Amino acid sequence: MIPIEYWLMFSSLLLAIGAYGVLTRKNAIVVLMCIEIMLNAANINLVAFSSYYSTLHPAFGTDASGQVFALFSIAIAAAEVAVGLAILLSVYRRYQTIDVDKINILRW
Amino acid sequence: MDWLQLAWLIPVAPFIAFLLIALMPRRTLGWEDGCGYAIAGAGTAFALSMLVIWEVVNGNTLTIGAPRFTWLVIGDTTVTFGLWIDSLTALMLLVVSIVGTLVVIYSAGYMHHEGPTRRRYYAEIMLFISVMYGLVLADNYLEMFIFWELVGLCSYLLIGFWYDRPTAASAAKRAFIVTRVGDIMFMAGIVILLKYVGNLDFATLFEGGATAVIPDNMLTLSTALIFGGAIGKSAQFPLHEWLPDAMEGPTTVSALIHAATMVKAGVYLVARTYPLLIQSPESLLFVAIIGGVTAIVAASCALAANDIKRVLAYSTISQLGYMILGLGAGGYLVIELNNPGGYAAATFHLMNHAFFKALLFLCAGSVIHAVGTNDMRLMGGLRKTMKITSTTMLIGALAIAGVPPLSGFWSKDEVLAAVWHAGEFDWTFTVLWVLGIVTAFMTAFYMFRMWFMTFAGEQRSEFHAHESPKVMTVPLMILAGLAIVSGFALFIGDGFKAFMSGAVEGLVPGFHHEPVADVAIEIFTDPLTYVSLALAAAGILLAYRMYYMPGFDRSVFARGVPGTVQKALENRWYISKFYDDFAYKVWYGFSLVADLFDRYVIDGIVNGFSYLAVRGGSTMRKGQSGNVQRYTSLIVIGIIALLLFVLYIVPWGGW
Repeated sequence: MIPIEYWLMFSSLLLAIGAYGVLTRKNAIVVLMCIEIMLNAANINLVAFSSYYSTLHPAFGTDASGQVFALFSIAIAAAEVAVGLAILLSVYRRYQTIDVDKINILRW
Repeated sequence: MDWLQLAWLIPVAPFIAFLLIALMPRRTLGWEDGCGYAIAGAGTAFALSMLVIWEVVNGNTLTIGAPRFTWLVIGDTTVTFGLWIDSLTALMLLVVSIVGTLVVIYSAGYMHHEGPTRRRYYAEIMLFISVMYGLVLADNYLEMFIFWELVGLCSYLLIGFWYDRPTAASAAKRAFIVTRVGDIMFMAGIVILLKYVGNLDFATLFEGGATAVIPDNMLTLSTALIFGGAIGKSAQFPLHEWLPDAMEGPTTVSALIHAATMVKAGVYLVARTYPLLIQSPESLLFVAIIGGVTAIVAASCALAANDIKRVLAYSTISQLGYMILGLGAGGYLVIELNNPGGYAAATFHLMNHAFFKALLFLCAGSVIHAVGTNDMRLMGGLRKTMKITSTTMLIGALAIAGVPPLSGFWSKDEVLAAVWHAGEFDWTFTVLWVLGIVTAFMTAFYMFRMWFMTFAGEQRSEFHAHESPKVMTVPLMILAGLAIVSGFALFIGDGFKAFMSGAVEGLVPGFHHEPVADVAIEIFTDPLTYVSLALAAAGILLAYRMYYMPGFDRSVFARGVPGTVQKALENRWYISKFYDDFAYKVWYGFSLVADLFDRYVIDGIVNGFSYLAVRGGSTMRKGQSGNVQRYTSLIVIGIIALLLFVLYIVPWGGW
């Protein structure tokens, strides 16, 4: 079995890559994709802990709730993408751009 | 039936009358806009008071061990409410009930022309009578203090009854503020008692040994401060100037509150505090000196006053000074001779004075009602048209001047005798006795000056005087009767002295009541009695010579030394002026500084804060750039900082 540290390192890396993308990219669609990457980092954590549950707590047997939550999370991510893309579409229609640096009228 | 258990109903009856008059629709008030309710309330309280007094005369009291209910529990301190009924309470009940009822009846005539505002008058006077009963029935200092403040409030309201007159409004304010000075002292005094004894019940404080826990100097300070309350309420020097101004109220109010009852509350307080006072001879001496000085200062001011009510007001202050002096001197007699004579004399004078001074005020009210002015220089010759008023006022004047066998003679003589005897133990009392005897002379003089100026001689201005209606003259006749006979209380039963000593019984163990006959013999064999009689006669004759017989040249008082004295007297020894100047110059200057401090420092701080908030806000809002990625990076930096803090700083700090 792959040690849990590997999984955690992997998910941290994904989270960091996603966060970097969210902070630096100008294109709002790419930002949205990076958010998905961060979300999936969390999903990997959920699944990893779930599969290690019986090893960590031998007395309680197996538990699949982490995996169930990962499934919920994926479904919610899909809904979120739908909403996000719809917003971006509206923004593009109004401003003819989806550059996040330009969309800054919500201030002061 | 034990009427003492029902004594709590005494203040309740006038209070119900107050509520009815104040809250019921006007058309239900009936005769004289509520006077009927007022007489019913005062009459009920009068009847109950008489039953309670009857019980006390028969030797039943409600003192230590009386039932009381708990009002507040604060830590170890318990504040109770209850009744305290002894001879002193009975005496005050007698005064308040008789004078209160008669004044309310008299008001029906005197206030007749006031129209709908009478309703406010009757409501306020009922509230006053109710809280005055509460004051004399209180069984601890806190309860007493509450009612003490309430009578002050009623006094303020009634002095300012004609609040549309600027003089009345300012007199009301002055009375309220000046008595407040005394009230603060009173409060400080009882706070000291509370600090050391932890209880304000008379039952606890007056029991032997309860005050042993108080250091001597603190006991002196405490009793002197409690007496400070009496200085304010009983208009003693140097806080006496509010009482003459209080004459701006209706004359009935002056008679009831500012002559017979509320101003007696200070004397009552001193008499009530006696068990504490006699443990502190310094305080007693202070009490006596204030009383003696007040008596002569006020009497001298009355010599030159031209307002009939002001003469009576100064006379009241002067007589209150007598009572206070008698209590101070009486304390020395208790300490040195085990003799409550001075205490009895002062409280006796309290009762007699209440009757004859209320009588004099109501007579003055009758005169003012007829003439329409307070200025005695515009009166004169009223004897012919106002027979009842002039006769009853003559009785009052004879009583206060100390002409036997009227009431003032007995009590004034007893007070002066007590002061003279106290002189054996401290020479100060001999000086105070001289002040007292000079005051007696002045009293006789100014009372007859007033009577001659008002009723004798020729009419000096245009008016059509008429005798007052029966509803006013009947109370006058009753009070005149009391002014004649109340002095004989000295000889009823075991005598007044024995009755009053019941209130201080624990203080004078082994005191033997002297037979009543001995009291009379003592009075008439004492040469001092004849000294005071001679001075009273001299005062009356001098007034007769100066204000009745024609041909007296009063111009000697216009210049030279007599002129200066006359001027000083007319200006009330400049005490009032001093207060005004003090208030205006010193206090106004201080107020200016306070104003500047308020405007520039306090407002500056407040404005500075608002400026800071406004500027800070306009600076900080620049941080809201609208750039999502900047917000996100701030969130990330924050999370990282929080993580570092929780993971490294917190364990390192050992939390």
